[in-house]
Amino acid sequence: MRETAGMADRAALPAGIHGSRLPGPFGVGMYAAKLRAYLRERSRVQLFGEVWNLRVGRVKVYFELRDADGALPCSMWRTDFDALRLGTGALADGLQVVVGGGLDYYAGSRTSSPAFSFAVSGLRVAGEGDLLAQLDRLRKALDAEGLLVPQKRLERRALPRTIGVITGEGGKARHDVLAGLARRGWAGRIVWAFAPVQDRHAAPRITAALQDLAATGHVDVIIVARGGGSLADLFCFCDETLCRTVALLGVPVIASVGHHTDRTLIDDVAALSCSTPTHAAESAVPVHCTQARAELAQVTRRLRVHGQRMPLARPGLVATARRLSVHSRRALLQRAQTLSRLSRAPGEHVARERARLHQSLREMRASGRRRAGDERARSARRALVLDRKAQAVALDAHRASGLQALALALAAHDPDRTLERGYALVTDSSGEPVTTAGAARDAHAVRLRFADAAVDATICGDDDRA
Amino acid sequence: MMTEPEQPVSYEDATARLEAIIRRLDSGEAGLRETLELCKEGRALVELCAAELEAVGQGLEELRLDDLVARLEAGAGA
Repeated sequence: MRETAGMADRAALPAGIHGSRLPGPFGVGMYAAKLRAYLRERSRVQLFGEVWNLRVGRVKVYFELRDADGALPCSMWRTDFDALRLGTGALADGLQVVVGGGLDYYAGSRTSSPAFSFAVSGLRVAGEGDLLAQLDRLRKALDAEGLLVPQKRLERRALPRTIGVITGEGGKARHDVLAGLARRGWAGRIVWAFAPVQDRHAAPRITAALQDLAATGHVDVIIVARGGGSLADLFCFCDETLCRTVALLGVPVIASVGHHTDRTLIDDVAALSCSTPTHAAESAVPVHCTQARAELAQVTRRLRVHGQRMPLARPGLVATARRLSVHSRRALLQRAQTLSRLSRAPGEHVARERARLHQSLREMRASGRRRAGDERARSARRALVLDRKAQAVALDAHRASGLQALALALAAHDPDRTLERGYALVTDSSGEPVTTAGAARDAHAVRLRFADAAVDATICGDDDRA
Repeated sequence: MMTEPEQPVSYEDATARLEAIIRRLDSGEAGLRETLELCKEGRALVELCAAELEAVGQGLEELRLDDLVARLEAGAGA
């Protein structure tokens, strides 16, 4: 180790403490690395205790494991924590857990702080911790004794002249209280009773401050404020002596220990519990002083009006005068409204007419466009129909003329026309035309059909051959 | 006959009584004598309220508990 330190920067190696027999000096980084290696070689074990100050980061989960005899800072890789699949809120301050792991040490560097922790690799939730159970028992005991009520029965002044505030001297809560009071326009007297608001010294000091403030007899209300923190940080506000003192105090106490999820016992026993010191300050002074001053001035004016009016007039006259005044104001108002309406009327009328004309014009244009379109479509349809009809007529005419020609041609060939000219048609007994002499001889009996009628004839004699 | 009002002791009582007085006066039902008495009572209440507001409007005074105790022990009053 000595050699390595020397190699690092022998020229910068400072001299040791004069007279000291301890080895060194060594470079701290090297020593820290050795310490980490030493701690990691220790046995890995399982521990149980209560979780406090749980903080779930992106990379690691941090908490403290506590019991009545001691505590140990713990850290766990977020991946290992997520792998437990505990669910949201399953691990919380006050729960009893069993953890498995070993000692570890982050050596830090020139720009980062070192940290010692018990590196947790496994965890099991074993139930509600003793501290939470103890808290619950105490709350029930105070309730059973009726100590949650007395503070709430105390009368709180709407405009306290002196407000006692118990808080940490360097905390942000002090400024928040002042901001809340300034918002109310309150500028009375504040009596600060500074006390630690965390750790084991807090509860006795806060208790003493409460008793001292009340004992002065000049404090109208007391605010106990803290800027928030985990339930572990606020545990001093669950102290039994402190809570009993608050419950039996003759001065109203407004608690504002800045915790939204878990209520501390002082929240239960106090006259009022507020989520922030600013809210507590505003609750301590329910009256908005600036506004109240303005209202008071108004009341003074009204009283003056009544006081001046009454000695000069009888009550009935005053009432009548008031009614008249009201009526005249109302009439005047109505006139003004009417005039205003009338003065606006021409302009509004023109505007309405213009809008109506514009609307009509738009409608006419739209209607014209729509009608022209319809007409165009209708004309097109008509033209098409006419065209088709013309084609059909032309076809019909063509067909008619052809038919007529055929009819004429057919008529020209009609045998009846020939008979009309004096010819006769010879047919046999079956009606078949007999067109030759031989056929007539063979047929023997024939029928002669003339234009007017048919007669039967018998063929006899020889041929008269041409 | 009007009833004798209770003497208000706190700011909130005073303001509540003032509101009642103004309502009565505005109703126009109070006779001359009652009106005069109400106005007198109202003015006294306004003075009381103004004094209360004045007391918390002079400027913020910040004291440590020890200072207050010392002042009280010295008999200087609060």
